[in-house]
Amino acid sequence: MFCTVYKWLISQAADSGKPVSGFVKNHTHRCDSCREFAQLCESLKPKFEQDKHAILKNYDEALSEKIISALPKERASESVRQRISRKFPARRPVLVTSLAAAFLVVAVSVSIIFLAVPRSKDTGSFGRPSELASAASPEVLLAKAESPLETEYQELKKTLDTTTKFLRSHLDFHIGPQTE
Amino acid sequence: MDKVPKVKQLSDEDLAARVAAGSCSLFEELVSRYSRRLFHFLRHRTETDQDIEDMVQETFLKAFRSIDRFNPEWKFSTWLFTIAGRSAISRHRSNKKIKPDPTAASSLPGPEEIVIQKQESQNIWELANLLSAKEYEALWLRYAEDMSIKEISRVTKKKPVSVRVLLYRARLNLAKIIDQSAFSKKLAAAAPAKHKLSFL
Repeated sequence: MFCTVYKWLISQAADSGKPVSGFVKNHTHRCDSCREFAQLCESLKPKFEQDKHAILKNYDEALSEKIISALPKERASESVRQRISRKFPARRPVLVTSLAAAFLVVAVSVSIIFLAVPRSKDTGSFGRPSELASAASPEVLLAKAESPLETEYQELKKTLDTTTKFLRSHLDFHIGPQTE
Repeated sequence: MDKVPKVKQLSDEDLAARVAAGSCSLFEELVSRYSRRLFHFLRHRTETDQDIEDMVQETFLKAFRSIDRFNPEWKFSTWLFTIAGRSAISRHRSNKKIKPDPTAASSLPGPEEIVIQKQESQNIWELANLLSAKEYEALWLRYAEDMSIKEISRVTKKKPVSVRVLLYRARLNLAKIIDQSAFSKKLAAAAPAKHKLSFL
């Protein structure tokens, strides 16, 4: 019943070149079929080796000559490769190109995100505490006075004041806080 | 005069490396070493000797063209037999579409006659030739080429376990063939005219 398993183990031993284990040996003493199979497996290697030389003689000697004469004098792949390398100079390694492309993509993406995402509104020249601390200095005040935004603001204020005065003098209504 | 023994002493892998480096004439030595072995390895793949010769020639041409792809870490025989196996498979696929010529087949001996001829042979390789192509090739690589299971699995593109199973089946079937062969000889000795009928 277990002869298939024993034969498999015998075949495995023949493949590995190791002797069969004890329990397989015990079985082969009792089982004729497995004993014969074990003997066959043992005898196969020398028998195949011995008969190999006899069978190799059964061969047409002219075949080697035919094959040799059919071989090209120069390896085709080699000549083709040489021709290609002459036409197209050797390319830089693909890895370097890929890395450069990836870096470029990342840089462009970061730039787009930086430009597109709205940032918090500028609180003015004195938004930060450190700048507020330095606001008292005359240089900062001068810079503030000379800034284009501030000039524009002053211009608008002047225009508005002038308009208000004009309207007040010509029309009878009041703009701004009531004054007695 | 010194060149001949020197070339003979070189290993297959050394020869292949030199051919790849440009000494194309050294490939002839590899052809003379392997053409017989390839011929017998491919015996099962086709019907006629002419087809086997064509396959051997095709194998060597492919090997010659792509020898710079040979990895010297592996045995040259493993690489060459892998090419032969693949060439045989692709040739078999392309030949499937061509219908066999019935007039050519009539001149060949019938399958029963071939079986009987081979069973009467004393050579174990002739008996092994009655096995299936895969079993025969596995036995050839194991015993004639002395390849390990790993190398056979590389050549046949099978897992090592599948190669072990293939070899196991090959041995079992070979044992049956040997039994039949011995039986046929006994019959032949007893009644020479009738023994052929025992296989029909």
